[in-house]
Amino acid sequence: MKVLEIKNVHKIYNSSEVKVHAVNGVSLDFEKGEFAAIVGPSGSGKTTLLNMIGGLDTPTSGEIMVDHINLAGLKSSALIDFRMRNIGFVFQSYNLIPVLTAKENVEFIMSLQKWDKKERDQRTLELLKAVGLEDRINSRPSKLSGGQQQRVAVARALASKPKFVLADEPTANLDSKSTETLLDIMEELNREEGITFIFSTHDARVVKKARRVITVEDGQVISDERKN
Amino acid sequence: MIWKTAWKNVWRNKVRSLVVIISITIGIFGGIFGVAVMNGAIAQRVDAALNEEISHIHINDPAFRDNYDIQLLIHNHEQVLTTILETPGVNSVSSRTLITGMANTATKSAGVQIIGIDPEKEKEVMRLNETTIPGTGDFFETASRHNLAYIGEALAKELNIIRYRIDEAVLDSLAAQELPVEVLDKLVPFSGKRFTSEKAFKNEVKGVLSMKEQREYGALIKEEAWSFRTRSKMTLTFLDSEQMQTGAVFRIAGIFDIKNSIFEMGQVLVKNEDLSILTGLAANDYHQMIVRLDDVESTEEVTAALSGKFPGMEVMNWKEIQPDLAMMTDMVQKMYAIFMVIILAALAFGIVNTMLMVVLERTKELGMLTAIGMNKKRVFRMIMLESIFLSMVGGVAGMIVSKILIGLTATRGINFASYAEGFEAMGFAAHIYPSISTSFFITVTVLIIITGVLSSIYPALKALKLDPSEALRTE
Repeated sequence: MKVLEIKNVHKIYNSSEVKVHAVNGVSLDFEKGEFAAIVGPSGSGKTTLLNMIGGLDTPTSGEIMVDHINLAGLKSSALIDFRMRNIGFVFQSYNLIPVLTAKENVEFIMSLQKWDKKERDQRTLELLKAVGLEDRINSRPSKLSGGQQQRVAVARALASKPKFVLADEPTANLDSKSTETLLDIMEELNREEGITFIFSTHDARVVKKARRVITVEDGQVISDERKN
Repeated sequence: MIWKTAWKNVWRNKVRSLVVIISITIGIFGGIFGVAVMNGAIAQRVDAALNEEISHIHINDPAFRDNYDIQLLIHNHEQVLTTILETPGVNSVSSRTLITGMANTATKSAGVQIIGIDPEKEKEVMRLNETTIPGTGDFFETASRHNLAYIGEALAKELNIIRYRIDEAVLDSLAAQELPVEVLDKLVPFSGKRFTSEKAFKNEVKGVLSMKEQREYGALIKEEAWSFRTRSKMTLTFLDSEQMQTGAVFRIAGIFDIKNSIFEMGQVLVKNEDLSILTGLAANDYHQMIVRLDDVESTEEVTAALSGKFPGMEVMNWKEIQPDLAMMTDMVQKMYAIFMVIILAALAFGIVNTMLMVVLERTKELGMLTAIGMNKKRVFRMIMLESIFLSMVGGVAGMIVSKILIGLTATRGINFASYAEGFEAMGFAAHIYPSISTSFFITVTVLIIITGVLSSIYPALKALKLDPSEALRTE
């Protein structure tokens, strides 16, 4: 089952002096449950591509269909709502809400979606347990290490059971041990919950774990390998 | 969750939030306390005017107030009195004879209004007798005596009935009250001296004391040097009902101190029975009837009722007799409003400034929140709630501080003794008891919330303009 279809997407930035063709005719399909890495050197357009998939940026031309819905057809408020319901985000610099505890950060989206308190608590605990932070549920982000913060971010991204999770260089700020733990957790959640993970990276360890590796250069896909 | 997050966000930068909160607290406190002091002063002024100066309603001949013609009497006095007393809302009535005349002593004279009263009736309507300075008299209690007069402190000073003198007794008393020896030494040369007037006394004492000593001990020295000779006399002269000059010597039956020097200067109260002998009017002839009401709030109502019953007479209530009192009450309401608007405007700018900083600082976080699905309405609400919380914390703190301080000072009052003369010249007491109504507190609370909401709009709009992908890229 296809969760995401990218059809001939272009993104051109028109700055005052130069035209930058950041994404140049990319077409990709993602099935449910994939664990895919978009790889490429910096400036290759992978973050731009990820932003467009996440509805944070709009393509200059081409279509991005999530569950057969064209993101370009959604108004900005509908798009925000769509993101809340369908897409989980993990950012390079964690981006947790500093004044809230790990638990509160994870349940934030669920509370926006007006989940029942009991269900919310259950899901939060389940996820924090899955990322190995059940003993840190009441810690604020400032009391957690980078790796722990990113694990909270992964739990947050998965909280409302999105169609897929987008992770922009999730391990860029982590040491190798944390990276390994995080990747194991993400892979396990991917298998258990069947949620598609798409991450941009240039970290070889991440690439090694990925079951599909898409290589991007100068805004174009130059290879798309699936491992078994 | 948004409420919780907004609340926690307020305390993210504790120092900054506290600075804003403290400034709001001080602003609100200043506003409320200032209003309470003004309010207290006005309430005391109105209260004093009603109890000691004019009462609630006056009834007299329509032409009487033009030139106080002695012939313009109230006809059928007994019947009028009964009718007034039967009117609902009326508490008590006192009838008066009013004569314009002169008060003279050996050295001074002054123009006064001589008011003939029945002391017992007068005590039911007015509270002037309660303001008698101790040791000066008993408000006509000595029934056997004739020709007694009750006068104000200012007039007593003007006529040299109250004098200033420094003698052994005064110096001893000052020493007993721990007046420093060096100050006492400066006063010794005055021992045995009588001063011709309050002004002369002040000038001479000022001449020997330093500014600091005057400030600290001036009031005490004045208090001790003040003296009143019992059985002091003055002559009252006026025209009788035949337009013939007449007059008599009156002994002082008490000096009243009502903190209003204008009124103290102009009124001399005497017993109507004494006055009627001199004027040639009958003992039950009166010019004016003054009415006390059960409740000041019913003034307009009772005025209308009495006007209806006495179409041929002038019925005037205190608001008409002293329009300045009514105007003052109205005017201060407007002043309070202006006062609060200025404070709240300053408060609003403080909040706008702080919240703009907050939005700027949290660009990335707000971008992240929009990215993960927090819609604009919710972002707007969160920023708005933060502003409201910020203003409410300060506002509530300000109100608590005000409430406590008003509570502390409401019973003891604030003494502006150093400015007493200026206050009393305007008819205000120098000892002010701040007071404020609960409705004013509620209004202020509502206004603070409105201010918080209004001043959050601009920063919240700024937050809405953020583009999530761009905001996420900021560091």
